[in-house]
Amino acid sequence: MLISLNWLKSGLETDAISDDELVKLIGARLVEVEGVIDETHKYDGIYVVEVKYCEKIPDTHLSLCKIDDNGVAKDVERDENGYVQVMCGAPNVHVGMFAAWIAPGAIVPATYHDAEPFKIGMRRMLKKYDSYGMMAGADELDFGDDHSGIVEINPNYAHAGKTLSETFGNLSDKILDIENKSLTHRPDTFGILGFRREVAGILGQEYKSEKWYLNPEQEFDNDPKIKLDIEIDEKLCPRYTAIVFDAKLENKKPYLDYESTLLARSGMRPVSPIVDATNIAMLAFGQPLHAFDYDKFVAVGGSKTPKIIVRAAKEGEKLELLDGNIVELNTDDIVITSNDVPVALAGAMGGANTAIDENTKRVILESATFSLYNLRKTQMAHGIFSEAITRFTKGQPAGQTKAVALRFANVTSRYLTPLALFDSQKEEPTPEQVTVSLAQINNLLGTDFDINEVCQILENVEFDTEVDGNKIIVDVPFWRTDIHIAEDIIEEVGRLSGFDNITPVLPLHATSDPNPLFQLKTHIRDHLAAHGANEVLTYSFVHGDLLTKVGQKPENSYKIVNSISPELQYIRQSIVPSLLDKSYANVRAGHAKFALFEMNQVYPRTLGFDNDNVPQNAYQLGFVYIDGAVKSNYYTAKKYLESLLSTLGVNYSIEAFEANDENAYYEPKRSAAIKSHDKVIGYLGEIKASILRGFKLATGTAAFELDLHEVLRFAEGATHKDFRVSQYPSVSRDVTLSVPLDTPYVELEQQLRKVLQNKELIFKLACTSIYQAEGATTKNVSFHIEFADPEKTLEKAEIQAIMKKLESIK
Amino acid sequence: MPSISELKQELKKLNAEYAKIKDVPAAERADFGKQLNIKKQNLMQQIADAEAAAEVANVEALDITAPCDINGAQPEFLTADFGSKHPLMTELDRVIGIYQSMGFDIMESRQLDDEFHMFDSLNFAKGHPARDGYDTFRTEEGFIPPAHTSTMQHRVLKANKYKLDAGKSIAVAVPGRVYRNEDVDATHEHTFYQCEGVYVSKDCTLGNMLAILREFFEKYYGQKLNIKTQPGYFPFTEPSLEFLIEKPKSLGGKGDGWLEMLGCGMIHPNVLKMAGIDPTEYQGFAWGGGIDRLVMLRYGLGDVRNFEAAKLDFLKEFTC
Repeated sequence: MLISLNWLKSGLETDAISDDELVKLIGARLVEVEGVIDETHKYDGIYVVEVKYCEKIPDTHLSLCKIDDNGVAKDVERDENGYVQVMCGAPNVHVGMFAAWIAPGAIVPATYHDAEPFKIGMRRMLKKYDSYGMMAGADELDFGDDHSGIVEINPNYAHAGKTLSETFGNLSDKILDIENKSLTHRPDTFGILGFRREVAGILGQEYKSEKWYLNPEQEFDNDPKIKLDIEIDEKLCPRYTAIVFDAKLENKKPYLDYESTLLARSGMRPVSPIVDATNIAMLAFGQPLHAFDYDKFVAVGGSKTPKIIVRAAKEGEKLELLDGNIVELNTDDIVITSNDVPVALAGAMGGANTAIDENTKRVILESATFSLYNLRKTQMAHGIFSEAITRFTKGQPAGQTKAVALRFANVTSRYLTPLALFDSQKEEPTPEQVTVSLAQINNLLGTDFDINEVCQILENVEFDTEVDGNKIIVDVPFWRTDIHIAEDIIEEVGRLSGFDNITPVLPLHATSDPNPLFQLKTHIRDHLAAHGANEVLTYSFVHGDLLTKVGQKPENSYKIVNSISPELQYIRQSIVPSLLDKSYANVRAGHAKFALFEMNQVYPRTLGFDNDNVPQNAYQLGFVYIDGAVKSNYYTAKKYLESLLSTLGVNYSIEAFEANDENAYYEPKRSAAIKSHDKVIGYLGEIKASILRGFKLATGTAAFELDLHEVLRFAEGATHKDFRVSQYPSVSRDVTLSVPLDTPYVELEQQLRKVLQNKELIFKLACTSIYQAEGATTKNVSFHIEFADPEKTLEKAEIQAIMKKLESIK
Repeated sequence: MPSISELKQELKKLNAEYAKIKDVPAAERADFGKQLNIKKQNLMQQIADAEAAAEVANVEALDITAPCDINGAQPEFLTADFGSKHPLMTELDRVIGIYQSMGFDIMESRQLDDEFHMFDSLNFAKGHPARDGYDTFRTEEGFIPPAHTSTMQHRVLKANKYKLDAGKSIAVAVPGRVYRNEDVDATHEHTFYQCEGVYVSKDCTLGNMLAILREFFEKYYGQKLNIKTQPGYFPFTEPSLEFLIEKPKSLGGKGDGWLEMLGCGMIHPNVLKMAGIDPTEYQGFAWGGGIDRLVMLRYGLGDVRNFEAAKLDFLKEFTC
């Protein structure tokens, strides 16, 4: 939202405060000011001038003009009367008119914010006419898009030589760019009047709304010939006020006016006198207005008594809008109807069937409020994001529809004569009351206000207060639709007096317990990174193609209905596919050998729901190891997995792989299930060759994944049993066992361990090689073993007996 | 079932058929070609399937329990200087560490939640336009990948209510991954991280909140900091504020600039009530802010897209 600082400040006492400080205060106590557009010098060097002489140059569109600037411009050549010569191409230039003249050296306002603003000088035209400066059109002055001629200024207040800025009440302005989002609950601040009230409160000044706003005239002398009934559904339309006018409409304003300059400074464009007047009312009071052609309205509704019926649209009902689009409505839309025939999509746009045109004789002005919930849906369904609906979706107060309609009648009397007023609401409602105690305020904010200070802060922005002991009874003004409970009042007190004036005081610290899952993740992160692996983060959302590519079923993934792109349509079922997906780009970038891992939540549909009835998740560690130079990376991935599990103190075993819906990417013949306490806690294996080809990755790429909740359950922490040291000499031996090819390695290792454990020895054991001679049906598995007795030095015979046992294993 | 070589033989024959096209009457040519193409596609699919089946059948099993391959070298770890931790996770660990030192329990936020936790339990009126400001994703069932860690507030309050009953306060920090439906550019990501804070006791005040937030950022940046606020609007807090700190010296601050760090406020009585906590007896405050930005600022990073790209060239800047 753009707000003219000059407009905002009018009526406030702001002499004692600089604009910068004022903007800072607004930022600290009302709303974030995203930026200040400085237009202080935008209209410098532009004067009101009278055209004294004007002669068409034959066969050109140009006129040679002499203008009276009352001698204010410097560095111009003047004739014997002191007039300045300007060439002008506008068809409407004529003797006696007052125009806006951009003097030589001044900037054309429309280019003011350009990288290189256009500065007017003296030009020689048609090779012989000197032209000083230019007489400007509305577009050049940045007051709209009108390029049909130069602007004319009302002779009633135009004075040759006066600056354009002064003529229009000071155009030397700053425009505040307001971040709307934090005002979602404050419909009142979407009008300059409400915004100004807040600024008064912030400055500690008492703001007083005018009587016409607070107490609009109750009686209106209706012309009995004008008939109009109003029937509303209060849930959809809390209030509907209408005034019927006799209209002598003009297509275009005869003169540039102050309102057009305000529209321009508020980011809007002048359109026509009546549209401009509705827009100004909206900018001033936050109340959008709409004008219908009364006679068309009556005709559309048929022969019955004219009646406005506001109702929910019917499914599939069609309406042609002002912009020519035909929209198909749904039951969330609200329509304004003439005896049940739709004439407008409420809050959004009028219908073509009741549009005002050059033949319009009578006008209905609508000043109404609608359910913000319905209009929000209308906004979404039809993609209409106008200034008006933006305001309606904040929930404009019903209390001001009549006052604003009457105000409109007041300012448009030149071409609109009010005939009759109709209002769905007969009486103004009594204001809501909220009671708050002084203790509540000070206890919640941590402040030390006395009761009078609080009342003053609230009274400044027109809350009526009444003190009853330690309690304050607050009458909420009708425009504060957001205030219902004591905390709402407390916020007002804290905000208007400045939250930054509250002294920060530390409460006593609570005590906390470390979160085991975070500790686990930190441990894993440190361990894997210290062993050369790289932690990554990848999106939770994946392409459906990625799922099918790795053999997962898309129907096992939750599907996003409003995804940004197909790439991000499904919620992933496991981490490893994301890692595979990200690997090739790294290979291509020249990384031949690397490991990626990620720890994150996954939500395969197969997990069902938790106690809150939301999808159950698993916390997963995914790991991939890439090395194209090696035939199989299974054993490297396994080394990472085993070192990790042993540092965590997880008692695990490597067991036969079991395929399921989620782990389908592992090659079953070269993969394993990792179990602890008979529960599967993860999988380890090579990825299927066909899948790896899809990722352009080398055959043999391996991965593992662990369920971190299970790991946490079984992690006993690093134990010290491995660090036992005997005081007696240890024996170092190599053992090679020759066994059939299909004997699992682990059986050999377990048997070796059993032998050493049975003797109650302290030992270390490591496999040094597995060898198969060419064509052999057996393999030789070699171990290096160190052992010692905790109690004594082992005798030679004892050692031999142990070795014999070890070597006889098969 | 025919063998692969038989199928290939057949394909060869079929390819030869194409030469006959020129002999077919012009009117029938298109149809003839079409039929051939269908046959060929069919055959090629059969070959691909057979080859895939053969590949699967030919896969050699390995000894899943062994430490290395038969006749293979012993596997080795990558060298330590290859390794890196994700800067976002490192930073999150730091943030969590500070909150823990300040007495906050840690509870991670969910990554798929429902309308109730995301909005209803946070005092967003049903169908209120304020819900639109969060640009949420939705699943077919109406679940929501949360757009803020506040989605956990209701759970935090319910799960820790017993502490209030025992005369203690609730102090919980909730880090997590959140999502917004917005286009990605150098400064916007649809996936990012936040950390929420929730504090409830009999008598905590807005002044306490400002002090806790200031303490956090002073610990985080290792210096005394000036703070300021801006009014904000969140349906789940009343009053609602935006919290700013002066730009710290470590980020090149010279006492002039301000950084918007988070949104905060006193927990709305309705939010407490919905979690079964009596708002006339207890009051609390909550806040939430982005983690990505902290990392961007700390390392002077310019492009948020690097965080989720899994590019080693970027990650290796953060080797341990």
